[in-house]
Amino acid sequence: MIENSFNRRDFMRVLGWGGATVALSGCGNTSVEDGKEFVTSYVEAADYVIPSIGTYFNTTCAQCDAGCGIMGRVREGRVLKLEGNPTSSINKGKTCGLGQAGVQAHYNPDRVREPLLRNGSKGETITWEKALELIKDKIGVGAGEVAFLTGGVSGHTKVLLKNYLDALGSGHHYAYEAVSPAIIRAANKKAYGVEMPRLRLDKAKVIVSFGADFLGAWVSPVHFAQQYARFRKNAKGERGVLVQIESKMTLTGANADRWLAVRPGTEGIFALGLINGLAAAGLSVPKDVLDLVRSYTISRVSKDTGVSTEHMDKLIALLRARSPSLVIAGSAAEGYAHGSQNAAAINLLNKVLGNVGKTVEPPSAISFPQITPTTGSRSALQALNDSMAQGKVKVLFSYGANPVFTAPITMKLKENMKKVPFKVAFAHYMDETAVEADLVLPLNSAMEDWSTSVPEYVAEGAQLNIQQPLMEKLYPGTLGMGDILLALLKQRRPDEYKGYEDFYSYLRGAMVSIKGTLGKASESDDTFWDGALSHGVVKLKDTPISLANKVFSGNLALPAPFAEDGGYPLHLIPAVSASLRDGRNANEPWLQESPDPLTTIVWDSWVEVHPKTAAKLGIVEGDIVEVASKSGAIKAQVYVFPGIHPDVISVPLGYGHEAMGRYAKGVGANVFRMLDPIFDKETGELAMHETRVKITKAGQRVIIVKDEGPAGGNQMGRKIAVRMSSEKANISKEV
Amino acid sequence: MYHFLRLSVLFIGLFAASCGYAVNATPSLTTSDDLGPKVEQPIEFPHDRHAGDAAKGGMQINCMYCHTYARRSAVAGIPPLQKCIGCHQSIESVRETPRIKKLFEYWEAKKAVPWKKVHDLPDFVRFNHERHIQRFIFKQGKPVQEACGYCHGDVKTMTVARRQKPLSMGWCVSCHQKDHPVDAASTKTTHGPNDCWQCHK
Repeated sequence: MIENSFNRRDFMRVLGWGGATVALSGCGNTSVEDGKEFVTSYVEAADYVIPSIGTYFNTTCAQCDAGCGIMGRVREGRVLKLEGNPTSSINKGKTCGLGQAGVQAHYNPDRVREPLLRNGSKGETITWEKALELIKDKIGVGAGEVAFLTGGVSGHTKVLLKNYLDALGSGHHYAYEAVSPAIIRAANKKAYGVEMPRLRLDKAKVIVSFGADFLGAWVSPVHFAQQYARFRKNAKGERGVLVQIESKMTLTGANADRWLAVRPGTEGIFALGLINGLAAAGLSVPKDVLDLVRSYTISRVSKDTGVSTEHMDKLIALLRARSPSLVIAGSAAEGYAHGSQNAAAINLLNKVLGNVGKTVEPPSAISFPQITPTTGSRSALQALNDSMAQGKVKVLFSYGANPVFTAPITMKLKENMKKVPFKVAFAHYMDETAVEADLVLPLNSAMEDWSTSVPEYVAEGAQLNIQQPLMEKLYPGTLGMGDILLALLKQRRPDEYKGYEDFYSYLRGAMVSIKGTLGKASESDDTFWDGALSHGVVKLKDTPISLANKVFSGNLALPAPFAEDGGYPLHLIPAVSASLRDGRNANEPWLQESPDPLTTIVWDSWVEVHPKTAAKLGIVEGDIVEVASKSGAIKAQVYVFPGIHPDVISVPLGYGHEAMGRYAKGVGANVFRMLDPIFDKETGELAMHETRVKITKAGQRVIIVKDEGPAGGNQMGRKIAVRMSSEKANISKEV
Repeated sequence: MYHFLRLSVLFIGLFAASCGYAVNATPSLTTSDDLGPKVEQPIEFPHDRHAGDAAKGGMQINCMYCHTYARRSAVAGIPPLQKCIGCHQSIESVRETPRIKKLFEYWEAKKAVPWKKVHDLPDFVRFNHERHIQRFIFKQGKPVQEACGYCHGDVKTMTVARRQKPLSMGWCVSCHQKDHPVDAASTKTTHGPNDCWQCHK
């Protein structure tokens, strides 16, 4: 009735007049507000502080472990935007998207604000005094070890941590990183004598990367990206050639001149095949290596890896023609039960090509061993899990790691944690591990905290990064990790540490005491310290180490390529995305919102499937499928993607949180949980790429939320910018 | 049949909205004076005593001595407490007066004085102090109190500052449309920018 009698035209007419009137009434002076808001001035202001004009302070990015120097723009006491610190040799004034999102870790609405003690299923707010007293009491009772689980640690936090564990006597440190190049480190140690040699991408004329996503998420991407730019156009204007060999295309693979999809796990075979081919092409290869690679003929390797002989010949010719080259073993090569062998074969190729000393350089040794980085591995979590399963752990501390989220379900970590009588989580968020803890201690954000760190990969010389607060704490109830460790140490060694009022005074004292060895003995304490803070990095004296130069030692035996598994025909590659990594930053909405560089998908997990495989299984884009391994299963949307080997599917890591915060919880599926318990035979590391899966349609189909493709291509069906051929366009009519 | 009935309901709404406009309406957008409400401040700061004429017992302090940010920044800011204390710690004669006692209480507690904003533009307006002061004071050589007074009124006669001008868009534009000399020496004139984005960014 109403629709008939009151037509649209009348409605629009009245609405138009009404709208105009409302607009008019809004145009008065009513919006000038007098005497309503406060305008707070400084009590004492530094000369350089001018309201509305930003001041930059240098500090260190804590978003990943690369340790880039950053500077924060601070205005009216608030940090607003992060830039790169030009003084830092790692990133030289640049940052990445992940680093930019650091402000969202700081201002995150889901941060833990008060110490919480478990009472049934809830957390009760308690004071810091009580919390620290409780830790002292719990450590005091009963036998058993005190386990301290951390991510990678370095700098003065590591010093205090070690001293605390020493003071306890029964303390064990477990350094755990869910996605770390731990197998590569071990293989490098064997091949070069150091865990992480310096890779000079800029000096190489050809780079052959076996799944090292150095532009996306591998080791120190911002640094490598700058080197890569010089590799692509060096001082003479020459352009380097990048060949990427992997089963799932990474961001680096997408940038490569030639992307070769190998059958998963055959990276080592491919490397040995290249050595064989290079020897045949006239490269001088030591005899023992020649014996090793003799059976890896081009035709056999081509059959094993699925790469055509033509491509192999081209690559061999390229490597012969251009020198020096650089061969990098990355996460795609190491993720198998024979990951160490794969990495060894790839390193061998590098050595045979004579790159050591040219594009592979030794890192600098740091003269203070107590602050050098302790890198994490997955086997450390395995060891802790075994201890907990046997009931040996009485108190568990967890800092900088979220093992409940990142451990495969077969580890039964959550169940084993229940056997620990008292669990303490140092947390920014109520993540999966904090939820399981008995005591949750809220940490300062990286923008509120003091700390120092030494990154694992430093490009030039040796440097100590300084992290300093960019602004006052947002919540009075949080505390820095250094301050907590100092307070815990005061419980154990009061005489030694009572002189330090807080971690800042400890840090300043420690830094000032070494100024002599840094060649700054002539500077006053204040000058030295102010200089260190204003630069954000302290150059340390570096002692060069020499790389092992023996080309080949020991034995190297690669297994035959994987046999078909009828029940689980596909290989699962858990992808490390540049934004989400191991999922620790999943609650920063910018990172959820920024499209994945290759698929442009946002805010969800996806399963990358090769078009051929999809056709065989009758799957199209947007189908919800169940991906099941022997250990677990997830459901996610399918994205049909040609940049993947047909035998492989890939799901990104970091999604699928069950806790943590409003932006992370319930978004996507957690692929860590379904990984099979298969380990690298040499290092005992979890082999991340070893899991076999099958996929079945779950029945639903969704429209994938992404930037590219039909949905974006026709502008959501609105055709705003109409496409037509240029001869038909009459511009004079349109203007 | 219902047609006009339905329409009339909407017209009543229209009438109500126009009444709302009438109530809010100001006499004219370009009036020279438009007194704002009195603003209660934690300390009744006597602008007249600090900036007023010597004949009337004022100290004739330059506006920019305290409001030091105005010439360097978009916002004028409020001087840091340190600034007040800088002089007042050596002015014994007024040390025991109630206002100065209160001032020192804030100082000793290291707490900022919670001043209320007197001239508060809506958040979608970006007024830039620096541009205006550089133009009128440093280029045209206008007396400081006159230049500040274009918008803030004759503050040197007030105690607590009170808004004197409408600070509405029409009022801003009325001045931006006038021709002003480019600098003190020149006869060349120009008017202020009239692009929307100059203020609405």
